[in-house]
Amino acid sequence: MSYTSISYLVFILLGSFIVYNIVPLKHRWKVLLTFSYLFYFINSGKYTLFILFGSLTIYVGGLLINKIDDGYNMARKALPKENKKEYKALIGWQKKCICVCVVLVNVGILVFLKYSVFFGQVFTDILSLLHINIENPMYQRMMPLGISFYTLSAVSYIVDVYRGKYRASDSFGKVALFLAFFPHIVEGPIARFDLVADQMYEGHKFDYKNMTMGLQLILWGFFKKIVIADRANMYVNQIFNNYADYTGLPVVMGMLLYTLQLYAEFSGCMDIVRGSAQMFGIGLSENFNQPFISKTVSEFWRRWHMTLGAWFKDYVFYSVSLSKSFVKLSKKTREHMNSFFATFVPMSIAMFIVWFGTGIWHGASWKYVMYGLYYWAIMIIGLLTEPLFKRLYGKMHVDRQGKVYRLLQVVRTFLFVNVGMLMFRADDLAVFGHMFVSMFKGFSLDDIADGTLLGIKLDIADFAVLAAGTLILLIVGLYKEKGHQIREEIASRNIVLRWAVYYVLLFSVIILGAYGKGYEVAGFIYAQF
Amino acid sequence: MEELLKILNEVKPGVDYENETDLIGHGVLDSITMVTLVLQLSDEFDVDISPVDITPENFKTVQTIYDMIQRLEDE
Repeated sequence: MSYTSISYLVFILLGSFIVYNIVPLKHRWKVLLTFSYLFYFINSGKYTLFILFGSLTIYVGGLLINKIDDGYNMARKALPKENKKEYKALIGWQKKCICVCVVLVNVGILVFLKYSVFFGQVFTDILSLLHINIENPMYQRMMPLGISFYTLSAVSYIVDVYRGKYRASDSFGKVALFLAFFPHIVEGPIARFDLVADQMYEGHKFDYKNMTMGLQLILWGFFKKIVIADRANMYVNQIFNNYADYTGLPVVMGMLLYTLQLYAEFSGCMDIVRGSAQMFGIGLSENFNQPFISKTVSEFWRRWHMTLGAWFKDYVFYSVSLSKSFVKLSKKTREHMNSFFATFVPMSIAMFIVWFGTGIWHGASWKYVMYGLYYWAIMIIGLLTEPLFKRLYGKMHVDRQGKVYRLLQVVRTFLFVNVGMLMFRADDLAVFGHMFVSMFKGFSLDDIADGTLLGIKLDIADFAVLAAGTLILLIVGLYKEKGHQIREEIASRNIVLRWAVYYVLLFSVIILGAYGKGYEVAGFIYAQF
Repeated sequence: MEELLKILNEVKPGVDYENETDLIGHGVLDSITMVTLVLQLSDEFDVDISPVDITPENFKTVQTIYDMIQRLEDE
């Protein structure tokens, strides 16, 4: 059941919204929990047990850590000062054991279900190098819905409790709702307990503004998904599924349209998700913040899939780079290297782990691993060459704060991102290599004039809709970047203008939407992760 | 405070730290400079700065970093 399906909109969203506003305030979270599990069960059937088990492990693990903390706080007052440090170290070790066990169980389930075939293949490939030929013993298993997303939320919960950021919840329902909340279970945003749990748990009174603002956001998400992303999808599929037949401009256009498709689709899905949650008075985290105005790829990843980047920063990058072994390594590099390399060496190792993780999180194949490491390589080269370029720009008197320089940075980042997208969408690395080279073969702008481009699944009207849609995305993005609250501004206008905007959007979705047979909407790309 | 300013200027020179009002929000401290800074602060002031302490509130200005160090020293 996709977020764009009638069944989701009517039975899950509208159904839960009506029941939510009928039952007493203190029981309203139970409505969200019931509908979340109903939505999950409809989509995943018996695999619902996995998310239930995951919720149970973090719930029990959290309570055990609470118990240890309480025991320590009781005993601390009676302890002599010299024993306090020893006792603290002991309970720190006990808490760490619980945290590690819970993380291993949850990540272990994800690895087993998602990566066993990949790792089995790597293992058999290594054996074949030693002339031992066996078949990959692993087979692809069904994956519970949203497991890649809710596992990260589960890890964030138990690690935060272990770090003492907040106390674990003593309500299993609250923990279960935090993981399974139906708007964010399929594609995120990756939730943090301290940011959303109370909002989900406390009953919200019916609020007309929340309802209309939520609906407005859902409609905007539908526009991005159905009018833009699904239209681009037709061209993209044709190029990527028949890549050997195309060279030059059609491939470049395929790459650009895939970037547009993924952005419109994923950010559109986030609008539907955040709009759904807002109807209940729940604010979920933003996942996109005008990524294509980024001046560097690091900035791009702070603006694209923000909750994933923040998760890797908080739970992998900081954990690794502030771990005892890394602190030792940093000390050693500071003793033996100049200040630049003393920072560069440990950081590049920590970043490698982060980007390897980010890559493989997207999928169990070398393509995704290389996708992550591609960004790592760009960042590492950027760090290495930064002093050189600083000196060079100084000598050339380049104004690094000037508009032209910043625009060139944006264009450079956009090109890097597009090549990354080509790798992301291509079937495998060999296809990516083929398509990358083929972009430069026979490149000719004549393909626009002679109708070659227009003959590939989309006609001139489709390209016009895509161009208009992209322009609207761009204007809205730049307007938001200037600090405007667009939805608030539309809602504050007079009824004629307000409803004119809503109707234009609504009829754009109905009339200009790229539907399949029987108004069928294409599935979401990120839902498969 | 002087020691803190010295470390900040070593980690990322060319910033008017005393008048900067949002070190993270204005992009002065990214995750790499943050880790470098935290490692040097831990070393210099002999405090244990954990990932939980790395928040926009604690690293907003020189004063908030200084307050965090004082707090961690007292713990």
